This record gives sequence, structure tokens and C-alpha cells, in this order.
Amino acid sequence: MTTLTSHMTMRRRRTLIAMAFIAVPVVSSIVFLYGPMVVSAWWSLTEYNGIEPAKFVGLDNYVKLFTNDAVFLKALRNTTAFTFFGMLIGPTLGLLTALMLNQKVRLQSFFRTAYFLPVMTSLVVTATIWRMLLNRNGLLNDFLAIFGVGPIGWLSDPHFALPSIIVASVWQGFGFETVIFLAALQAIPRDLYDAAAVDGASSLQQFRHVTLPQLRPVLIFVYIVGIIGSFQVFDQVYVMTGGGPVNSTTTLVLYLYSRFMNLRLGYASAIAYILFAILAVFSFLQWWLFRERD
Amino acid sequence: MRKGLARILILVAVVALFAAGCSSSSTETTVAGGTETTAGGGSDTTEVVQEPVTITVWDYYGESSPIPEIIPDFEAANPNITVKVESLDWDTMLEKLNVVLTGGTPPDVITLDMTWLPSFAPLGAFADLNEFSGGQLNGQPVADAYSAGALKAMQYGDETLAMLYDFDVYALYYRADVFDEMGLAVPTTWDELNDVAAKLSADGKYQYAYMADTFHGAQWIYENGGSLLNADNTKAAFAEPEAVEAIEQYAGMLNAGTAYWWSADEGWEVTPGLKDDRIAMFSDGAYYMGIIKDAAPEMEGKWRVAPHPQSKQPGSYQGGTGLVIPKESKNHEAAWKFIEYAMQLDNQVKLFEISGAAPALTAALEDARVDAEDPYFGGQKTLEVFKQAMETSTPFPYVREWTSIDEIFTLAMEEIAIGDKDVATALSDAAASVDETLGG
Repeated sequence: MTTLTSHMTMRRRRTLIAMAFIAVPVVSSIVFLYGPMVVSAWWSLTEYNGIEPAKFVGLDNYVKLFTNDAVFLKALRNTTAFTFFGMLIGPTLGLLTALMLNQKVRLQSFFRTAYFLPVMTSLVVTATIWRMLLNRNGLLNDFLAIFGVGPIGWLSDPHFALPSIIVASVWQGFGFETVIFLAALQAIPRDLYDAAAVDGASSLQQFRHVTLPQLRPVLIFVYIVGIIGSFQVFDQVYVMTGGGPVNSTTTLVLYLYSRFMNLRLGYASAIAYILFAILAVFSFLQWWLFRERD
Repeated sequence: MRKGLARILILVAVVALFAAGCSSSSTETTVAGGTETTAGGGSDTTEVVQEPVTITVWDYYGESSPIPEIIPDFEAANPNITVKVESLDWDTMLEKLNVVLTGGTPPDVITLDMTWLPSFAPLGAFADLNEFSGGQLNGQPVADAYSAGALKAMQYGDETLAMLYDFDVYALYYRADVFDEMGLAVPTTWDELNDVAAKLSADGKYQYAYMADTFHGAQWIYENGGSLLNADNTKAAFAEPEAVEAIEQYAGMLNAGTAYWWSADEGWEVTPGLKDDRIAMFSDGAYYMGIIKDAAPEMEGKWRVAPHPQSKQPGSYQGGTGLVIPKESKNHEAAWKFIEYAMQLDNQVKLFEISGAAPALTAALEDARVDAEDPYFGGQKTLEVFKQAMETSTPFPYVREWTSIDEIFTLAMEEIAIGDKDVATALSDAAASVDETLGG
């Protein structure tokens, strides 16, 4: 009897302690994430400047964004292009680098660190350095001048500005993909390759039929995380061009931010929810692809 | 990449929280008190026994700020008041203002860029200073303390929302040494400017700086008798013939190769271009004298300032820094005392000596310590040029949509610089969007 009650109280105490630990993230999520999300969902249906009472306008903000806001559509296009080209180049480069590092190269850990270093560096710092390299009076144009080329407005010409930012972002980010791919490559059991070799598979066939299928979950992870991250691009653009010239590099988050700075909180919230919907689609896709596999 | 959205979410979260709990959160700052003091009077030093008060001042002057310098003496003269200064840079300040004025606990005194006034004033974010001043500033009628232009800028409707602390109007900065070498006279008209600029830039350097922004665009438009909006601020006026002609002149210098487009990727300030001789003429405010001295001490003696060349009349945007008190501040009385103290003659002189900005008080402008010869500018009495420009300057229109209008106009100036559109098309397209913004 006594042992039973003491057992009970101990279990209850344990439960209470566990609840207390869980309460911290739950409460902070509610206060700092879900609460504001609900509030901003409401704002997205209003015209609101933060001081005067919010005026309910239904879906007007959303309708206006898609039908009568050229800058928003441009931001959507820019963000999509940034994501598409970034995802086309970044993971491919990461995989190639990982494959090379996976050979028995000397100084492997040195290279691994070297490629990962930009990932750990502050985005604002690397973007500032890129801006100094790419501006009209920058190092790249000084170099091109030797061959009588330029100067080219890498960041001040609307044709080059977005590609320049994509290049800088890929450089900054592909080390992350390299490290993930490298870890995954090293986890592929050696005997799969041995078996394939016994069956007479060439190294290209080994890559196609052993490496790629084994990498599938990691590939999905890298692409989904990459796409979600790319859609939220802000820092590099803010530092390198501020969205210009002529909005040629304005992205969704940058535009959202500028609406916020114009005290158009309802409109900014609507943009945030559109972005949220896009990201939700990709998150769902990830969940679905992984589920399929299990 | 992910930090971006996280930051926005936090920002929105903070706004939401403040909006939700703004009435309850005021308990945090009830260090206040001071409510017992008899209101109304100016700065009478008949001290009632007062509870201690702490006021917070937001200061965007950065490293060369005059604000911290005057605090010890202010606290000595007002033993019940403690001043806490928060130093913020310009961008951060605007961001924080947006958050805090839309439903948070604002500071008690703000150094406010006067171009921000139009967006916040219509929302009733700032207190009417007449309530505390009774029309007096340090024992002198406010109306006598300032020039007419400054008074107009401080006014919103029939309220006085700011005490102008420093003013910002544009004048021409030019390389006197190069002018001398080439035997050029300082241009006073646009025609002379085109002529001088062509001679200066013959070798591809020593150009005039083209800045794609409203500050500079407005100057040319004003000089040609145009304006940004119509008289009652209901429609764009910058696509009218005078304005188009003005911007055609400005952009024409780009096409002629006599001006250099200083784009954002080279940084916000033109200084690097001054140091490597790309720029020999540009237009900017008095505050820039402090920047150039800091950034290019080796160029001492090479620069001068002059009234900007014009076609019909002198004209410049008028801005500056105002000292304002948020309506939600709990320490209006103490905040006003601080503003009055900061506006005392000696402290206005300190503002000039420390930050290089042009003090707004008429008495300070006439003070021998301010109206002095500046060795960096070859012994020129530089402030006289800006004082003169102040008299013919115009503040940006006080409409609540100003931020959007500024954005639209700046975009047009960029389109023109890039060559996307010709001047007339770019401006009339921009005017159409401004009309829509003002109409809706």
C-alpha cells in the first residue's frame, strides 16, 4: 500500500516535472509564434497602421497584391528565380564537391572546413564583402579592366543584379550541402559498391544505381530545406542592393519588410501569409515524400 | 537565409504583443511620477518638491552626438531628472519607431528626422509642444527664436510637433583646387553648370554626382519653379513641364557624361568618389561637412561650398532633426525641460561643434562660434551658404502617404538613371501611381 502510493506520487511528480519542462517551449511558442500568427492573420484582412483602429477590408489586400501591385509580382518572380537557380546550382555543386572530397583526398578535413566556413560566417559580413567585390568600382571590375572590359554594373544594372546575388548566395551556402552530402556518402555501406563491382558495374553505373538511390532521403532534405530557405531570402539582398535597381532584386521578405516600414501592417501581413502558404506547400511535400518512403 | 523571416516574425510578434497588452504593460515604467507638478508654466525655476523621474532619449547622431555631452549639466540643474540615452543608427531608429509608436512604450524624447514627420504626425503619435511651452522657448517666444521656414516645418496643422534642432538644406560642394587649376568660375546657373561640368570631366573624372533620390530630384524641380505635389497635396505635380524640364537637365548630365550616377552598391555616401577624384561637384547638406572632414582629412583646403546653380530661383528640400515628445510618453514635463535645455544657445553651439550639423536656432546661427571661418574649407564661412539656402527651402509635403510617394519618385529617378524610361515617361508613370496613392 505504502509502496504503491509512493510509487504513484513519484510518477505524478515525474509527470509534473516533465510538464514543467514542456511548458516552457509550449508557452513561448504560443506567446511568440502562434499568438502573433493569429493576430497577423486578422491584420491581413484589415487596413491597419498600428495606431488607428484596424479597418476590416476582407480579402482586399490579397486581391490587390495579385491584381494591382506590380512590385509584389516582381518580388514573387524574383524570389522564384532566386530559388530556382540557387537550387539548380547549389546542391549540384555541393554534391560534386562532396563526391570529390569522398575520394581519399589528403587534407580532407581541411577542405571540409574550408567549404563550410562561409556557412558559419555572418550573411551580412559575406554580403558586404561581395558588394565590395562587385560594385562598379569594385575588385572584379578592376580585374576586368585589365582586359579592357567594363566596368559592368554587377549590382547596379538590373540585368546583372539578381544573378550576382544568386552567385554570392550559392557561394555562401553550398558548403552546407557539401557537408550533408559528404556525411551521407560516407554512410553508404561499402559492400553495396563491392557487390556492384562484382556484377561488373562501371563507376558511372555505380553512381547511378547505388549512390543516387542511397542519397535519396538526403537529396529530398537538402532540396526542401534549401527551397524553404531561399524563399525567405532577405539579408544578402538588403545588404547588396536594397532591392534595387528599380526593384530588380526585391524579394518577398524584403517587400514585406518595406511595407512594414511604411506602416502598412495589414498589407504586410497579407504578404507574410502568402509566403507562409508557399512554404507550407513545400513543407507538406517534404512530409509526403518522407512518408512515402517509410 | 532563414534569419530574414525569423527577424520579421519577431518584429511582428513584438508589435502584436505590444498592441495586445499595451494598457497593462505601462506598469513597467511607472518610475514616472511628476504628475503632481503644476502644468502650463514655461521653465520657471520655482521648484516644487518633485519625485525623481527618469526620461529616455533616443538619439540617432551616433558617434558624433551632442546629446550625451549636455546631460551631466542638465542633470545637475534638474536633480530630480535622470536622463537615459539610447543611441541608435538612422535605420534602426526608424524601425524601432515603427514598432514603438504603433503601440509600445515609447521613449520620452526623440531626435526625429523631419522627413519622418509626415508619416507619424497624422497618426497623432507626437504631443503638441505648445501645451508645455505656452509658445515660449527659454523665455523667448518660439516665433522669434526660429526663421520663418523652420517654424513652418515644425508646424503640423495648428500643432507644433517639433523643436527644430538642426536643419538640413542642400548646397553645392565643389573642388576649389581643381577649379583654380582649370581657371573655372563657380557656376550659378544651369547653363554655367553644364559648361563647367563639361570642362571638368573632359578626362572622365571630376564629375558631378547624380543621386537617384527625392532629396536631389526635388532640388532641381524647386529651382525650376516646379513642385512635387500640387498646392493642396492631392495630386502629383512632378510630371508638369517645369519639373520634367528640371529632371531632364539633371539626367541630361548623365547622358552627357558630365555626371556620375552614384548607385547604392557603392554605399550610401559619395565619399569614396570624392577621395579618388571621380566626383568634383555634388549637392548635399551642412551635415556632410562633418562627414567629409572625418572621412577625408587629407583633402583639407580643397573643398568649398556655394549656392547650388539654378535656372529660375534658388530651391532646396528642407529637412533636419526635430526634438519631439511621443504622446504616449509618461514624462511630458521632464521631456520638455530637456528639450528646452538642448535648445539653449550654448548647447546649440555645442551641437555644431560636435556634430558639424547646422543649428536651427536663429541666435545660434548668428553666434560667432558657429558663423566662423572653417580651415577645412579654406577659411570659408560655410554656414552662411546654408543659412541662405534655408531661406528659400521647402519641406517635403506633409501628407501621410509621403513614404510611398518618396518611394515612387525614387524609383522613377532610378529608371531614368538606368535608361529604362525617358524622363517624361518615367515621371508621368510615377505621377499616376502617386495620384492613385493619394486618391485611395
